[in-house]
Amino acid sequence: MNLLWFEMVKTFSRWRTYIGFGFIALVVILTEVVMKLSAGEIVYRMMKSLQKDFLIFGNILNGWFVTTFIMNSLHIHIPFLIALVAGDMVSGEATSGTVRLLLIRPPSRYNIIAAKYVTALFYTAGLVIFLGLMCILPGLALFGSGDLILHHYGKFGLVFIPEVEIPLRMLFAFMAAVWSMTVVASIAFLLSTLVENSIGPIIGTMVVVIVFLVIGNFPFDFFHSLKPYLFTTYMVFWQRFLDDPIPWQEIARSAAFLGLHSIGLFFIASVAYGRKDIKS
Amino acid sequence: MRKLLLLVLIPFLLLPGRIQAQGDATSYLDSLERKYSGLKDYTVDVLVHFDIEGFKAPDMQAKLYWKVPDKMKIESKRVFFLPKEGGFFNPSLFKKEDFEIKLLEHLTYENRKAVKLKLTPKKTKRMTQDVVLTIDTDRNLIKEMNISSFEGREVKALIQYAKFNDFELPTRIELHLDIPFNESRGIRDFDQSAQKTKRVTGKVEITYSNYRVNSGLRDETFKQTESPLSREGY
Repeated sequence: MNLLWFEMVKTFSRWRTYIGFGFIALVVILTEVVMKLSAGEIVYRMMKSLQKDFLIFGNILNGWFVTTFIMNSLHIHIPFLIALVAGDMVSGEATSGTVRLLLIRPPSRYNIIAAKYVTALFYTAGLVIFLGLMCILPGLALFGSGDLILHHYGKFGLVFIPEVEIPLRMLFAFMAAVWSMTVVASIAFLLSTLVENSIGPIIGTMVVVIVFLVIGNFPFDFFHSLKPYLFTTYMVFWQRFLDDPIPWQEIARSAAFLGLHSIGLFFIASVAYGRKDIKS
Repeated sequence: MRKLLLLVLIPFLLLPGRIQAQGDATSYLDSLERKYSGLKDYTVDVLVHFDIEGFKAPDMQAKLYWKVPDKMKIESKRVFFLPKEGGFFNPSLFKKEDFEIKLLEHLTYENRKAVKLKLTPKKTKRMTQDVVLTIDTDRNLIKEMNISSFEGREVKALIQYAKFNDFELPTRIELHLDIPFNESRGIRDFDQSAQKTKRVTGKVEITYSNYRVNSGLRDETFKQTESPLSREGY
């Protein structure tokens, strides 16, 4: 427990840890102000196909809609912010020359790596929760509350979520987002155990995420057949909590797939760290 | 020579009949206009039930205010969707001067005498190609509307009425939608031929209750803080 506390203090006393929080605060507030100023245009674009057939009344552009809009826009960028810290968890010790000092202390390598991993997950959860709070609280203050109307781009129809159901669904959605991001943290963490500088794991993680996303979206049958095996396919399973009805089986399958990835990646990282020959 | 003379004369011989038919067709709209000339405003509770593929919305409730000639306001605590075509009763919607009117047929509709009129807008506003009205000529009521647009949108409205303060007003409008939709799958649709136009079909049932007719609604009632989506043109 002391080891975990020690890792937490180390991580959260670095200024780099707060880059992600600062970025999120800046982007979310900026987005919400811009959305407030150009509300009509944004909603018009979102609901364009339905407006040919329906007159739409009421507060569609509310805090919940804004939260979903920002979440949809930012879920590609959040992995970079996570990699920024998780990719430095182990390799950072080598860069700063403290790795030998750390390993001559009584706790085993496995305890040390576990404490570092839990700290990386704590940071990941903190960042996603911060994103949620930054979206919801100013969103509700600026745009008010109301039913959530979601219209998927390029498709006819909509999903209507009554206002009373939204807080619980949002809670589940953000929990799912945290769960998805732990895979990104685990990749960055694994790469961090394999190298001795932090740039490699950060860039490496982003390369993996981007390549997987691109492969998953290429319009070729070969790539399309690979899609079910890519973790990025399941990373957006938080969106399923905003479907009607909620596809629980699909959610469970996605959560299990991502969970197995995280466990597997951590296992490889701990074995690699346990066998690592520390030369400097 | 005789044949040529006949060919020239036939259109002239048929013209009075055509004018007569046009006049008859117009008279049905005149009768409708006269019937509702005393209707100045109304307030009604509206309940909308959607049964459209992919449209997962619960029943929606609102209060609708209408005033001549075409002022309309919706008051709802929650989000409210109302079909653009045939969603509410507006007796001044079909002014004879706005349409080319053609009498299609005389028929019996629900055991009453009826006519079918084809109305083609003189100005192609809102992409409406034509409207076919089935009018109960015994009671001067529009019982059925078939609206088609240039984009291939087809809307059929079946209307039921009841009497409120000497006016027969809709208690239920059943809309059958058959609309085209270009479904896009984003990045995967780089092949334009893959974007086939899909037709979306479904039904919208609109129930009207608690009419208040000619209560003297003021113009100020309709000056509401507009939702960005409720404006015409969005």
